Amino acid sequence: MSPLANFWPDMLELLKKYRIHLVTGGVLLLAFLFYSLNLKDREHANLFERIVLNLTAPLHGGISAVNRGLAGVWNDYVDLVDVRRENKELRESVKILNGRLLESREALLANERLKKLLELKNSLHVPAQAASVIGEDGAPWFKTITINRGEADGLQEGMPVVTAEGVVGQVVKVATNSSRVLLLTDNASSVAGMIQRSRARGVIKGKGGGRCSLEFTLREEDVKVGDVVVTSGVGGIFPKGLAVGEIAMVKKGEYGIFQTIDVRPAVNITRLEEVLVLLQRREE
Amino acid sequence: MLRFVKFTFLILAALLLQVTLFPAYLRDPFKPNLLVILVAYLGLRQQSPMGGVVVFLLGLLQDCFSGLYLGLNAFTYLVTYIILRQIADRLYTDSRYLMILVVVLATFGNGLLQLPLLLLFSAAPGVYAALLPALLPQALVNALATSVLLAFTHRGGTVEQK
Repeated sequence: MSPLANFWPDMLELLKKYRIHLVTGGVLLLAFLFYSLNLKDREHANLFERIVLNLTAPLHGGISAVNRGLAGVWNDYVDLVDVRRENKELRESVKILNGRLLESREALLANERLKKLLELKNSLHVPAQAASVIGEDGAPWFKTITINRGEADGLQEGMPVVTAEGVVGQVVKVATNSSRVLLLTDNASSVAGMIQRSRARGVIKGKGGGRCSLEFTLREEDVKVGDVVVTSGVGGIFPKGLAVGEIAMVKKGEYGIFQTIDVRPAVNITRLEEVLVLLQRREE
Repeated sequence: MLRFVKFTFLILAALLLQVTLFPAYLRDPFKPNLLVILVAYLGLRQQSPMGGVVVFLLGLLQDCFSGLYLGLNAFTYLVTYIILRQIADRLYTDSRYLMILVVVLATFGNGLLQLPLLLLFSAAPGVYAALLPALLPQALVNALATSVLLAFTHRGGTVEQK
C-alpha cells in the first residue's frame, strides 16, 4: 500500500483526536476576526448591538427605576434617622437661642431703665442709691413695696424714692439689707406739691387703688385737667420740681374753700422694677 | 418636731408667695391671702394650745410685709382665731365646704376688724375707700385658693392611705 492511501484515514483520526482543540481554536479565531472586523467601525452600533440595546432598554429602565426607588427608600430611611436626630438638636438649639433672645431683650430693657435712672441721678445733684423692687404689699388696701437696699447702703426712714418718670414714695421701714417704701398712692402718704403751670399749691394724698388727690388747694386757684403736678419742696422731704402726676379731674363745688382734684400718678406703680432712693435726710 | 418644721415651712412659703410671686402675676385685689386661710385652718381643725401664739406670730409676720402698722394683722388674726375656736366644737369641721365658707367669712371679718382700727388709730382716714371694695374679690380668691389647696391635700391623703 502506498503512503497516500493511509493519509486520509490518518488525518481523520487526527482530527477526531484533536477536534475539541480545533473547534476551540476555530471559535476563538472567529471571535478574533469578528472583533477585528468591527474595529474600523467601532464608533457606530451595528445591527446586533442595536437589537440588543433596543431589546434591553425597557428592562434597563425598569430595573433602574426599581433600583432608584429602593435606593430612595433606603436613603430616605437613613436620612430620616438623621433628620430625627438633627430635628432634636435643632429644637434644643431653638430653645437655647430663644432663651438667649429673651435674656437679651430683658438686658436691653433693664439697660434702658437704668440709663434713665442714671440720667436722673446725675441731674438731681443729690447722692442717690439705686434699688430693685423685691416684694409688694400682701394686702390690697395698703400700697407698699420692698426694695433690696437698707441701712447698710445708707438708707434711712423718710428718704424720697423716685424713678425717671417721677415720685414713687418714701422709705418707711429700714432693715439692714432691705427696706419698705410707702407708695405715693397709699392712704397714709402725703407729699407737698404744686401745679407746675400756675404754681398753685396743695398736698398730694394717696387714695389707694393707684390714685391720688391734690388737697387743700384753694377754690380760686387756677387748676385745669392735664396740668402737671410737681413736688413743691415744702416739708424738706422731696426736692422741688419732681414730677408727681397730672390732673385727671377738677371739681369746684358751690360751697367750701377747697377744690376737689384727682391726680393721676406719673409713675405706674404696678410695673416698678428699679427705683432711686435719694440719700438726703429730712430737713429739721 | 417634724410637724413643727413642716408648718414653719408652710408659713414661710405662703408668706413669700404672697409678697413676691402673686404680685408679679395677679392684680389687686385678686391676690389671695394665704395666711388668712392658715388662720381659718388653725381655728377650725387644730385645737392646739399654742394655736393662739402661732396665729399672733403669723399676723406679725404679715405686718412686716404689709402696711405700716405692726400688730394690726396680729390682732385681727388673733380675734378671728379665738372666734373660730369658740364655735369649732359645734361645727362639722371636716367638711371642705365649711372650710371654704369659713375662709370667706374670716377674710371679711379680718378686713372689717381692720377698718375701725385704721380709722381710729392711723393717719389714713380714707382707707375705707380702698379696703371695702377689695374685700369681696379677696374673699372669693381666698375661697378659690382654699378649694385648690384642699383638693391637693385630700389627694395627698388618699395616696398616703393606699
